[in-house]
This record gives sequence, C-alpha cells and structure tokens, in this order.
Amino acid sequence: MQHKTFCRAARGSDPFVTDLSAAPWGQPTDQPAVAPTPTDLTPSRPVYDGRLGELYGIYLRHLTLMVLTLGWSRFWGRTRLRRYLWNHVSILGDRFEYRGRGIELFLGFVLVLVVLALWAGLMWLLWEFVFHEHTLPGLGFLNLFYLSIAFIGLPLAFVGQYAGLRYKLSRTRWRGIRCGMAGSAWRYGLLATALNIANALTGQFLTPLVSVNLARPRIANAFVGTQRIDFAGHAGDIYGRYIGYYFLNIGAWVVAMAAAVTIAIAGGKGLGFSGEDFEKLFTDFSLRTVLLIVIAFFVVYTLFGVMILPLRCWWQAYLLRYLVARSRAGNVLFATAVGTRQMWGFMVLNYLIVVLTLGLGWPWVMHRTLRLISGELWIYGAPEGAAIAQPPDRGPRFGEGLLDMFDVTGF
Amino acid sequence: MVARARYYDGKVALAREVGVRPASAELIITDAAGTAVVARWPASELVVLGDTEHEKAPPVVRRGEEARLVIDDAELRRQLALSMPALAALGKPRSRAVPRIALFGATLAAALGLFWLAIDVGSSSVAPYVPYGLQHRLGESVAGDLIGEKPLCRGRAGLAAINNLANRLAEAADYPHPVEVRVVKGGPVNAFTLPGGILVFYSDLIDRARNGNEVAGVLAHEMGHVAHHHAIKGLARQYGIDQLLKSMTGGFSDLGTVGQGGGLLLALRNGRAFERDADATGVELLEKLGLRADGIASFFQRMLEERPGDVAAMIGIWSSHPPTAERIAATRRPATGKPAFSDAEWQSLRAICNVPGSTPRQ
Repeated sequence: MQHKTFCRAARGSDPFVTDLSAAPWGQPTDQPAVAPTPTDLTPSRPVYDGRLGELYGIYLRHLTLMVLTLGWSRFWGRTRLRRYLWNHVSILGDRFEYRGRGIELFLGFVLVLVVLALWAGLMWLLWEFVFHEHTLPGLGFLNLFYLSIAFIGLPLAFVGQYAGLRYKLSRTRWRGIRCGMAGSAWRYGLLATALNIANALTGQFLTPLVSVNLARPRIANAFVGTQRIDFAGHAGDIYGRYIGYYFLNIGAWVVAMAAAVTIAIAGGKGLGFSGEDFEKLFTDFSLRTVLLIVIAFFVVYTLFGVMILPLRCWWQAYLLRYLVARSRAGNVLFATAVGTRQMWGFMVLNYLIVVLTLGLGWPWVMHRTLRLISGELWIYGAPEGAAIAQPPDRGPRFGEGLLDMFDVTGF
Repeated sequence: MVARARYYDGKVALAREVGVRPASAELIITDAAGTAVVARWPASELVVLGDTEHEKAPPVVRRGEEARLVIDDAELRRQLALSMPALAALGKPRSRAVPRIALFGATLAAALGLFWLAIDVGSSSVAPYVPYGLQHRLGESVAGDLIGEKPLCRGRAGLAAINNLANRLAEAADYPHPVEVRVVKGGPVNAFTLPGGILVFYSDLIDRARNGNEVAGVLAHEMGHVAHHHAIKGLARQYGIDQLLKSMTGGFSDLGTVGQGGGLLLALRNGRAFERDADATGVELLEKLGLRADGIASFFQRMLEERPGDVAAMIGIWSSHPPTAERIAATRRPATGKPAFSDAEWQSLRAICNVPGSTPRQ
C-alpha cells in the first residue's frame, strides 16, 4: 500500500519522481547516465523492529544513571541507545551494527575541554598583554573569552555536526562492512557558516542553495565500504517551489499578525481592559504582567504554529523528497513520498511530545521517527555486494567532542 | 545440528546464508546445504559483540577478524549458547520491558527524590556558613543590577529610624551582622531582601502604610528572610536544581528550555515556603521585642481589600507567594504591645523621600 502511495506521488507534481527509468539524476557526462543494471529495481523498504517498551527500559536506565553520575554517564547511555536503534533497523534483511564505545565519546569530550582550556589560556595572554595594557572599559577576561567563543561558536558547531556524523558512520556496519565519511569537517564548517550568513543577509532567499550545498557534502562524502553515495541535486531544480513557499510564508505571517492583533484587541475589550490599564500593566510591573505576557506568548505561538508551521512542513517535505530522490548508491536508487502531514508529525508533533513530557517522550519520538523512515523510504534495487569492499581507514579515534560541547546532538 | 544464519566475510558486502555447526573446540560454518566448510572458528577465539538487551541479534565474530555471523532465530541462538560456553551470551533471554521500566522508573524517581532532598537540606545547612563578606558583595552586585539606576531616599532621620528597628530585630533574631535598609523612591508596593543583610523598601509601601506598625510588620518579615538566610539558600537551591536538570537533560538539546520552566516552578515553590517562614519569624521577632505584631496582617488585609482579586491564590503554583488570605490568617495578632516607631520616627519615615539629595546612586 505504501508503495502505491509512492507511485501516486510519482505521477504527481514533483518533477524529481516522475520517471525513474529516465535517470533524472543528471550525472556528469563522464559517468554512466544510467545505472549499469537498470533492470533490477525491485522496491524494498528498511525494516524497523524495535519495541517502544524495550527502548524505554534502556532510556530510563540511562536517565537514572545520569542523575546518579551528574550527567557523566551520558556517553555510555547514548552509546547503548544507538546500539539498540541501529541493530533494530535492517535493509534487505541485514541489520545495522553500531560498535561505538562510550569511552570514545567521553575522550572526545575531554579533548574538547582541553582545547577550550588552551583557547582560554590564549585569550588570557591576549587580554593580559594586549587589551589589559590599553584598558578597555567593561572588557574583562571572561568577557573576552565568551566573546571569542561566540565568534567561533557557529563555525565550530557546524564542524562538530560533520565530525559527529563521521564518527557515527565510522562506527556503523552493514553486512560487516564499515561505513564512513570522507571530506573535511573544517571545510564543511566554513561552507556552512558562509552559506548561512549569506542566507541571513539576503532574507533567507538562498535557502535552496544552502540546503542543497550543505546536503551534498554530507551525502556525497558518505560511504558504505568502497561504495560512495552519489548526489545529483541542483538548487535550481527547487527554486520555483521555494519562491512560491517564500511569498506564501510572508502572506501567512501578515495574516497571522493581523489575526493576533485582532484577537488581542478584542480580547482586551472583552476582559474590560482600558488603555490606561494596559499602560499600568507595564509601569506597575507585577505578577499579573508576567502572567499576561505568558498567556499572550502562548496565544501568539499557537496561532503562528497553526498558520506558519504547516507551510514550513510542506516545504520541508518537498525538500526531503528532492534530496532523497537525487541520492544514489551505485545502482541502488532511493525515493520517498513523505508528505506535509508526515513532516508535521516529524517536526512539530515530535517536538511537542518531547517538550510536553519534559523529555520523557524522547524514546517515543525516536521510535516514531524510525517507523516513519521504515515506512516511507523506498529503496530500488540491491547493491552489488561483491563490488563493495571493506574501506581501508577506520575513521576517527574519538567521537563527537565538539558536537557534545555545543549540545546539538540528537542521539 | 545445523543452525541457519547469515555470514558476512568482512571483505565484501555480501550476505551469505550459511549453516552453523557447533563442535567441541570450534564453530564450523558451512554453506547452506551443510556440505562445504566456509570457515572454522576456534571456540577460544569466539566473541559475541553486544548483548541481547541492546542487539536483536548480537553478531558473533572471531577475535581480530572482520567477518560476522548473525543468527536471527532466537531458538537457534539459545541452542548454540547451550552447546558452546563461548556463545553463552547469545542465550541470555531479552529482558522484559515492563519490569525494567518499573524498576528504573522507580529508581529514577527515588534518585530524583534523594537529589532534591540533598539540595533542600544541603542548601539550608550550608547557607549560614557562606562567608559574610562574600554574601555582602553578592548582595551589592544584585542591588546594583536591580536598583542601581533608581533614586534612593535620603531622609536621615527616617533612614535612622528604620535601620535602628531593623538592627534591633536582627539582634533579636541572633543575626550576627549589621543589616542595612535602603529606601527606593517610587513603586511598586514592595520590599525585598538581598544576600548580606541588605533590605530594600520602596517608598510607595511606606506611603500606603497607615501607621508605623504596618511598616514594622513588613520590615520584620524581611528580617525573617535575613535570619533564615533565604537569599543564599534560594541561590544555592537554584544552582542545585540547575545541576539536576543539566544532569537529566545533558544528552539532549531542546530540553534545556523545558528544564528552565520546571526549575522556575521549583523556585517558586521554594519562594512560597520561604515566605511562610519569614511571616512566622517576623511576627515572633516583634513579639520578642514587645512590639505590636498586628501590622503585617492589617497591611495585607488592606491590600486585599484594595485589590480584591487575590492574584497569588488565583495562579496557585505559578505564584512566588502564598495566597494573601492564608498569610493574613497565619499572622493575625492582637493589637497589643508598644508601637514600633515613635510618632516622630514615623513622621520622619513618611518624609524620607522629601529631602534634597534623593537622587540616583552613583
């Protein structure tokens, strides 16, 4: 049935899933335009057979240890969770294997602490011998340190993201073959920083360019053994839809603002609020003010959530479908028919579950996500296993220190 | 016995259906038909990677080799585990989810309870030993942030009157350090205590009080906070709660924000307990000095009449103070005892902001 869904979508409006046989991947001319064995496109999907109860057993044990060790057990707990999740996902009947170790994550974290300490030392020298002599008012050593961290924080967070992905892949095996990631995390960090700054400066108008160009290194540098993943996305393909989304989004914001103001005025009048009361609310700052601000935030948040988020999910679902369809591992093709509603479940509902359960819903979210992937990712064909060999390198020795430091890791 | 399994040779990504035959000193891996030997792994070199709690089918490897044997069939795993001690880990039954959740859920709740108790008891017992100098510096720094820009009232006689009473109350409470009352011009109708015995009153509170006993009631309440070291305790608890939340959410982002919300609720709960203590101590201190102790109840009563909606009662757990009606009932005392301020003192207190020099502090 799911496959039918995909076929329906394939006949639909997305340009990148219209015709699988015509090789829409736009490979460079020096590569074969069509996969060598075009006949075998047997569809399959990943299988996830994890159980929520078991996942909760592991998660609650992790939380308990976190409290007892003041959080220091997190490296080991996270590793256990990954082992469970990886091993309960299989492709073509073969399970993934996660062989990372808690100590590797721990050492990665310690390493980053040491680097930060060295950085602090450098900043201290700078402060002592450069700034201190020409006293800058209000600039203490700690200010300088935090300022420098804020400055290098954004690029470093991206570097950490890439390095973390590399670590996770290097500890992942499928059919006994190690996965991995080539490319420089630092180059990715610089690219991501530059693209994101440029995007911010142009009013988010470069989003397709940023999305495709940041997806490319992460997809095209990944490998399973000696099998590289090809990515043939071009921002130009998705700009049309993005421009539509961009202006619809602006329209939605205008309507939402108007609705918010109307509700606020009508609500204020309904509650018998005069302008004077309103003025008093802010000059005579009391608990009531705080309460009203909280309520106002809630109303605005809900309103915007209902109007803006579905639109965003619509775009994100389109982007995901595009990125997946433009990826290929040898003669294996991928496609997904993830729609707006599913993206809403993934982006919004999952977030709400985590927040409203004060974090206890996290395993549920993970479970939902893996079920979504196993239900919606279509894999066409099977890899030529004999041609995929064990990669020569073993990946990084320590894991995710930077990622951990900037707290951007999901699991 | 020939057990069916999947074999990966560790060289290429091919999955091979194989048969597995345990022998006395080795594990023999054959082709699916059981006719040709694919590999022979000595029993002493067999390793089971992972465990049945985390891995659905823990891979079996020969030490130092990349090849893997994966047995998806639980019954066959059990049989292999029975016949070869090196594979015993394969036979461990998967733990049942419900008992595990119950066990760890209960342990987690107990650990959180213990942690909370440690914060609660720890902050109370440590607070009095925080060096006074440090407390005072902290108090000054918070005062700078909160009221640094606001005009202070400088009426000498008024300040002397209120500071004199404050220090008498401090002495009655066996508080070993001097306290200092500062009066900020304007509103809201409020007063608060900072670490290091710094008390801040807003002049609107003095203006709204009907007599000196009401101001003395509020002052004694604030002295209750000082005597119980509430400011430092609050900070210590806040720090402890932050640590607790950090340890619980350390692995996952986005939860920080939620954690802060929970932390705020706990802080407010703390706040209400502190207020009750300070109310009780305030009244006790006044009675100990033989002064009229009905001021605070009558002040609350009037505030409640002027603003009938008791905000604190309405918003319950979101409030930093207990419901006003409850506080009135707890602090109601007969109108006996000496007045806290003489008439002259009360007049000077009322005029505390009406003297030149009431300007912002530098």
